[in-house]
Parts: sequence; structure tokens; C-alpha cells
Amino acid sequence: MELGKSAVRLTVVSNRARPGQDAPFATYELDRAYDEMFQSDGGPRPHAKDLYDTLCTLPIAELERRQQTCEQSFLHQGITFTVYGHEEATEKIIPTDLLPRIVPGAEWDRLERGLKQRIVALNHFLKDVYNDGKILNDGIVPRDLVFGSKHYLRQMRGVAVPLDAYVNVCGTDIIRREDGSFVVLEDNLRVPSGVSYMLANREVAKRAFGDLYRAYGVRPIEHYGQELLATLKALAAGFRDEPRICLLTPGIFNSAYYEHAFLARQMGVELVEGRDLLVHDNVVYMRTTAGVKRVDVIYRRIDDDFIDPLAFRHDSALGVPGLMNAYRAGNVVIANALGTGVADDKAVYSYVPAIIRYYLSEEPLLDVVETYRCREPQQLSHTLENLDKFVVKAVGESGGYGMLVGPHASLAEREAFRAKLKSDPDNYIAQPTIQLSTAPCFVHGGVEARHVDLRPYILHATDTRLVPGALTRVALKRGSLVVNSSQGGGSKDTWVLPT
Amino acid sequence: MFYSIRHVTRYRYDAPVRECVMQLYMQPKSEGGQRLQSFQVTTQPRATLQAYTDHFGNAVYHFDVPGVHQDLQTEAEAAVEVQAQPAPPEWVDASAWQALGAGEIRAEHFDMLHPHGLTLPTAALDAFLNERGLLKGEDPMSTLRRLNRGIFEAFAYAQDETEVDSPIDVALKKRKGVCQDFSHIMIVAARGWGIPTRYVSGYLYTKRDAGDRSAADATHAWVEALLPGAGWVGFDPTNNVLAGERHIRVAIGRDYNDVPPARGVFKGPANSELAVAVTVAPAQAPRRRDDFLRVVRPMVQRADRPAPATADAQQQQQQ
Repeated sequence: MELGKSAVRLTVVSNRARPGQDAPFATYELDRAYDEMFQSDGGPRPHAKDLYDTLCTLPIAELERRQQTCEQSFLHQGITFTVYGHEEATEKIIPTDLLPRIVPGAEWDRLERGLKQRIVALNHFLKDVYNDGKILNDGIVPRDLVFGSKHYLRQMRGVAVPLDAYVNVCGTDIIRREDGSFVVLEDNLRVPSGVSYMLANREVAKRAFGDLYRAYGVRPIEHYGQELLATLKALAAGFRDEPRICLLTPGIFNSAYYEHAFLARQMGVELVEGRDLLVHDNVVYMRTTAGVKRVDVIYRRIDDDFIDPLAFRHDSALGVPGLMNAYRAGNVVIANALGTGVADDKAVYSYVPAIIRYYLSEEPLLDVVETYRCREPQQLSHTLENLDKFVVKAVGESGGYGMLVGPHASLAEREAFRAKLKSDPDNYIAQPTIQLSTAPCFVHGGVEARHVDLRPYILHATDTRLVPGALTRVALKRGSLVVNSSQGGGSKDTWVLPT
Repeated sequence: MFYSIRHVTRYRYDAPVRECVMQLYMQPKSEGGQRLQSFQVTTQPRATLQAYTDHFGNAVYHFDVPGVHQDLQTEAEAAVEVQAQPAPPEWVDASAWQALGAGEIRAEHFDMLHPHGLTLPTAALDAFLNERGLLKGEDPMSTLRRLNRGIFEAFAYAQDETEVDSPIDVALKKRKGVCQDFSHIMIVAARGWGIPTRYVSGYLYTKRDAGDRSAADATHAWVEALLPGAGWVGFDPTNNVLAGERHIRVAIGRDYNDVPPARGVFKGPANSELAVAVTVAPAQAPRRRDDFLRVVRPMVQRADRPAPATADAQQQQQQ
């Protein structure tokens, strides 16, 4: 792969969309990235043809009207997120794009099998590293990597987790390479967010392109809330028939508070903050106007560090003192389990294919991106030599924080990063810059290509399931490869077709 | 030696508080030359005690007081026997340095080899070690003996100069501190040389005539280092001795924060005052059970019932 080179500014126009003369696509540029709508010869892919035809027949003014309706709907529902690290108050409407991204059913089915395999293996891995450590003893994954991870929680050693299901909700970031194959970019195994945007995008897309939606027979995703509820209930099946479930949020200042409230409403469970819960004699209770009620399952959207000030960060006021004691005693289920972050560490990521082979004796169905671990001296020097071509990421971070996109960085930025890398190499990995696929987006009064990724949500308890859909994240800046909403990305609906 | 230990902790608040959750690392271990004969904790207000074994093998007790209170007291009482162990060697073979580098040791004792929390290496520590000539020597045992003495000689024992969880630089700068500081400093230095070293929380039966500096009415802390050929050896840099019959081990961890004797969280806008009292007193050996029990009805064969003959019958009796 000559991915290193490919990331330079994508101004080389190899082709125009064939019917470029058609109004909305007049400025649509194809480059070496895989395009979700057009083949490399410029013709629309068969599954995208109906959408293409529809867009060609609609006046721009009509598209603009529909885009505005979408945005208004988001505004009225208060679908917001928070960007950290900016000066002014930072609650923003997440930008939504009008045009659905279409995934053929057969492609989705392959992807789904790969994702299920991956999450099952990662759950085996988590059980192992918190109990026998076989994979460490066998030298498949270096012990230093696991025990040295800031997300490895020693307090979880030997703690029994219901159904051995550590990761119950997983959001995996998938991208498409130039050849169109899907590849995993990262797993989000702690408190993945964004599923409410997936559902909200569906609502507005259905309104904007209702006829097309019905004609395509798009697979439904609206039952996600019920699937999540069933997953949480299954985790308590061992000890409660009608478990009391609540969703634990850090509160209204959290970037995903909208989503927490939304999901609690969808499932019909209580939305609580740490101060609404208390632990007495190893049992968790929720304060209600009718007195305290026992809580059996907590779908928590608080990070490990903050969930119990007695066990973890003592300065945290967000959590529930004693919660870890109740959890250890088996009196409450916490989903996701604590300590799952050790498996989505970006350095562990490069071992996931080996992890799949080790526990399942199967070949991985989904590829991962070639990854250089800077903890290994040779790979570090290779990275330092190729800083202008690589993406370098801090292993324990997420959301696009603490990363360098070599080809897009200035010389000064690269040199500053070089120093950081040298002083703490264990903390970084490097990957060649991957050309994310492009999809048509409605911007500047026309349709232009923007880079996208794909985040499906996988649920895991007694079995593993996905709703057939995903959040497609969009890098709204032309040529940008960073899709994180925290870095100014947007999103759009994802239509999975019957076949 | 037999000891009876009493450890009282009292929290007072200047306003009513509620929902206090506490955890205690106070139960002496029963391993090696140490045997725990009895242990009990009482609390005021009364609470239900729960216990578990943490990932280092320490016993942890915890409880909560949901209601409003302004005063919280715990009292732990333990009876412990400590048997003298063979004295560790003056030195071990120089090959021990190499043995410490073995993959199995580095893997098994990962946590006790890596900097963590209060045991982070600092420039001030390097400067101190250089200035005092406390450098990696010919073998790890004599190196640590020198370090143990070196810390004892360089630092004054002084309470109220540092906090229990101060970074080592506070003590290094003042050249004053207490057992936690000296232990953390020794841990960082020893780990820096590749020796697995752990923090030990416990009690000391103090003897002024033995040159002890430790306060008599407090908990104690020292370190244990893994030395090939000698096993885990306890070093007490506060008192310039090796841990022996007078050291009563309660918990091991990477640093103080892994095993504080008492830690709690409460709700309410109040300031808190903490008072602690510890006594470690030599005790009479508890009477062996066989000496204590007195047979009141000797065994007699009853004529009307045959003696149990089969294994089945015996088993049934036991049920």
C-alpha cells in the first residue's frame, strides 16, 4: 500500500462524475478514494442509482429547503454535543447531512459477521486479562502493554462479570480503503456514544426522502432502544426477573447528555446522576419520591475513573461511593463492565487479529490498519522518519484528541509532536494515512464528495446483535480526514438495503 | 512473640454529614511467620461490616452509615503471633542482578517494578542518591542495606512536615518526613535498579532502647524487596532495621494509596477532624484449645447401640 503518499491534498482530479453536467453534481470530484456513490468510471453504483436519479431531478432550491428542515428538526430536538477545549461555551448542534449513505445488504452482512466475531473475541480477552492471563503467559499480547495501560483496572481482577459479557455496547469505527474493503479503525468499548444521532438522522432522512426510503426497502433501526433494553435485562436474568434499570449520566454538562436523556426515554428507564443513587450494605438504591428503590442494572455513561470516588478518583463528585463494592459482591450489573478500556487501547488494537485467532481459532473476518507500535524501538524510528506521512495517536485517548495527522500538519506541529513522541514513546502508535471513502454530501448549494467513516453499534449479552444501521460520520471540511464530532465533523443517515 | 493490637480511628465533623462509606485495611495478615489469632472491628454508629480480599491478597473491610451523624469511630482489635524468622543474608550473589532481569520475575512482579502514584522517579531523588553515594552496588542485598541506612541517616523523623500521600519530593526537599515518605523513597530507588519492591502497611512494636524513631502510637510502613536467594526481605528505613519479629504486616501495595488504613467518603458540607490511636502490646500466648477445653463427659460405650463401623455411618454423623 502506498498509503503514505495518498494523503497529500486531494486536488488531483482524475475524473468527473459522468453526468457532471447534471446540476447538483457539477462540482463533484472523484479522486483515489473509494466513492460510496460512483464507480471509478464516473457512473453511479447500481445500488446508488435511484438516489442519484432522484437528486438529479430535484431543483437545488428544493434540496436546500429539505436540508433546512433537517437542521431545524435537530435544533428543536436539542440534538447537541459539547466540544471541549474551546474558549467560548461550546454546546453545538451536530451538523447533519441530508443525503443518506447507502450500503448494499450483502456488504453489510459480511461486515456484521466480522463485527460479531470481533466483539466476542474482545470479551474473551477481557475475561482473560482480569483472571488467568493466559494470553499474556503465552506471549501473544505483551504483559507490559496490558498492565501498563491506564485503562487496566486492578480492582477488576477476579471480579465475576455476568455472562462474562464485559462489553455490552460497542461502537466500532470502520472505514473503507481505496479498494472498497472495510477495515476497522478503532473499537470503542468504554462508553461509546452517537447512537442517538444514528436514530435522529434516520428520522430526518425518512422525512426528506420518504418515497425513496420506502422504494429501497431500507432495513429498520428504530428498535435500537428495545434491543438495548433487552440486552440490559438479559444481563440481570440470573438474579432478577423484572430488574430495575437506570441510565447513569455524568449530568447536563456532559457532551452526550442529550443522548443519555434520549436513550432513557426510548427504553423507559430512569435517567439518574450519581447523587440520585446510594449504596447501603452492598446494595445500590435509587432515591425516588416514593422512597428508595433497589437498582439491579446500571447502564452507565460515566467513565471508569469517575464512577466511584471510594474506589477510583477520590476527587470525583460524579460517581456513587461504594458502587464498586456492590458490583464486586454481584448485587448490581454495570454495563459496560468496568475496565473494558484496556481492550480498546490503540496499541492493543494491533493485536486484535491475534486475539481472534487465539480465542476463537478462526481467521479474522475484518482487517485492521497496519500499525506501528512506538514502544518498539525500530517501529519508533520508522515512525519518526515518516512523520509527514503517518497519523500518530496517543494509545489511551479517543475522540481525535492527542493525535497528529502528519500530511496535514505544519512543520512546527510535527516537530513539537516529535519531541512528545521521543519523551514517551510507549504512549503512541502510528498508522499510514488511510484514504477514507467519500460520499456525496449537500454543501455550498451543491453535492460534493466528503470523507466518511461508519460506526455501527453492537450489543452483546447472551448473544450478539446489531441493528442494521450505523452512524456515518462526515468530515465536513473538503479533503479533511477527521470525522470526530469533537473536531468539527458531522453525520448522515446510513441505509442498509435488503440485499 | 504474641501481640495485642488496638487501632481506634475517630472522624469528627463540624456539621452533620450522611451517607458515609468507609473502607479499612486493618486486619493483620496470616502468612509467613505471622499468624492472626483473632480480629474484630466495631463501629460507632453501628454498621454492618462487609469484607473482601483485594487483588494484592489483602483483607479489606468496609461499611456505610447512611443516616445523619457527626462522629464516626472504628475500633479494630487483633491478636497476632509473630515468629522469628532466620535473619536474611548480609549479601547475596552478584548474579542476583542478572536473575532479577529474568522475564518471569519481571512479568510476575510487574506492579512492584513500575512507577505508580506516589512512587514516581524524580530528579530530586537522583540528586539525593548521587550526593549520598547510594548507587547500585555489587549485589542487591548489600545495596539495599546501604540504602536503608542511607535514608535513615539523611532524613530527620518529623511528623507534620509531610502528608500521608505527599510526593517524595516534599520529604526530599525538607530532608524530613515519616515512615510513608521514607518507604516511598526507598521503593522508587529500588525499583529503579530493577528490584521488585512493595509498600507494606502495618504496625511496629516500638522499642526506644533499640533506637526506634517511629512514633509509638501510630501505624507503620516499611518496604519489602524481592531478592533472589533470599525471597521477600523487609527493610525499615525509618528505623534502620530489617523487618523482623516486631513488625506486624497488615497489607501490601504499590504505594500508600493502595492500602490506606482507613479511607472514606461522606456527603455534607462539613470539615472533618481525624484522630487515631494505636497500641501494640506484648500479650500472653493464648491457651491452646486442648489445654483450654476440659472434658466434662468422658466417652463411654453405650450398650444399646453398636459402635459406628462403616464409613457411611461416620459420614452421616458428621452431617
